[in-house]
Amino acid sequence: MRRLARWRRTPWASILYVALVLLFLFVPLAIVVLFSFHASPRMAFPFQGFSLRWYEEIFTDVEILRAMGRSAIAAVTTGLVTAILGTLAGLGIVGLNARAKGAVMFFAMIPMSFPALLYAIGLAVYYRELGVGFSLGATIAGQIIQSLPFVLLVISATLDRFRFSLIEAARDLGAGAFHAFRTITLPIILPAVLGSMLLAMALSADEFIVAFFTAGQDKTLPLMMYGRLNVKLDPSINAIGTVLLVATSALAFISARRTSKESL
Amino acid sequence: MKPNRIVTALQLAPASVYYSALFGAPLILLVVYSFYTTENFDFIPQFTLDNYVTAWTSDVYRTYFARTLRISAITALAIAVVGFFYSYVITYTLRAHRAVLYFLVLVSMFGGYLVRIYAWRSIFGAEGIANSALMSTGIISEPLDLLRNGEFAIVVAMINFYLPLGILPIYAAMQNVGPGQIEAAQDLGSSRLGAAGKVVLPLALRGVTVAFVFTFIATAAEWLTPQLLGGTEDQMIGNRIAYQFGAGFDWPLGSALAVTLVVVLALLLGAMFTLVRRWIR
Repeated sequence: MRRLARWRRTPWASILYVALVLLFLFVPLAIVVLFSFHASPRMAFPFQGFSLRWYEEIFTDVEILRAMGRSAIAAVTTGLVTAILGTLAGLGIVGLNARAKGAVMFFAMIPMSFPALLYAIGLAVYYRELGVGFSLGATIAGQIIQSLPFVLLVISATLDRFRFSLIEAARDLGAGAFHAFRTITLPIILPAVLGSMLLAMALSADEFIVAFFTAGQDKTLPLMMYGRLNVKLDPSINAIGTVLLVATSALAFISARRTSKESL
Repeated sequence: MKPNRIVTALQLAPASVYYSALFGAPLILLVVYSFYTTENFDFIPQFTLDNYVTAWTSDVYRTYFARTLRISAITALAIAVVGFFYSYVITYTLRAHRAVLYFLVLVSMFGGYLVRIYAWRSIFGAEGIANSALMSTGIISEPLDLLRNGEFAIVVAMINFYLPLGILPIYAAMQNVGPGQIEAAQDLGSSRLGAAGKVVLPLALRGVTVAFVFTFIATAAEWLTPQLLGGTEDQMIGNRIAYQFGAGFDWPLGSALAVTLVVVLALLLGAMFTLVRRWIR
């Protein structure tokens, strides 16, 4: 009887709903990963055996390796620059009064909800007028804008919980401003800084739209994948997609674990 | 400790300069460009309203705008509904596991933009995975029309990519409504669904509205999903804008279409916010 009661109390409908939503979120990705190991070029069921041939193909393709290199450069640069700009700005925002803080955060968040397509064409126009042309650097400059809001959000959330009395105490005990920053503020915000840097790297590695309009000949990995999409049935796309997915989800996963430890 | 004003200004300066130079300036220039003239495959600073006349009066573009707003509204609404119930269930019913269930959504938000669209492209289609799987198991004998590429495929793929973006604000808003408030409603005779509708929805309405607005804006400027998943009859205004910046090579017209889209979105969403605010009161 008791077992029956527990069975009745278990919210089966809720569990089913959550499972379906998660299935819906992850199934497309699982399909790409699955077919990247398919022995046959056909992307349809029934599945005809496993093979690593598509990985062999992409990891011996110089064009693709170059694109991977460009994507890596873009990710690291975006991560570093965003983390520095975001941390400095986050520390600056703390010094503002509530009203100014709200206003600054509001403006800082605009790029997050502004449509990427419209920003990308704006950048294209801008680069054309400046006469600097399209390049990987041009793309990175735009990707930094796109990830800054996320970084700022994570860092200011951490700083909001930060007890500034700690610094006051250190200063009262004779520590210099820089010394107090290095020994107190930095260790406390460092996990958030690193976490948001990884997030920015993930955003950059996965970014397609700004790269499409501003990278020119410097094709990143997503652009390479897109180029193959339109040509013909090319099963190596699954392998490229899987590499891309593993890189971005690993970064996002570590980042989310680092930054959400306290909030979880 | 009183923060030093000069230090604060210096800390804010780099990001502010960067924002102005690489976000503000490009968007201002986009507006400026929408008044340029296209001549002999060049864009010259000769003030004209022709681009806007074309963007606003041409039946072709009106069709694109109407279709875009319809598809985006359907997608954003579906995301708000699915996201509301997902947030509700993980916040209250499966409370013990909410951290993990939220974390999974968070992780799925980053990564896989192009990969997802590509995956849906392989799933849909007459010979796609969905039809081939159903046919090989003998459930159907002919490919289903619904599972071919088209508006349905576009909407499904966009819900798939933007759902986490919708769950985020709704979940955040719900964290302010304790489970006690729902129990109270149920004790007073509300059904489970009734409690969700009468107690949680009004309190989380801000989050739901933000979710709708975010996803509506994002999908209204989509271009890759309709391009890869739809036929010529399913293309959205983003495709026209991208086309003018590509093969069409009429950047000023593309800019005018972009500015028009922003204005239309601002007016629509502004009106919506006003209505919601009145409703909450």
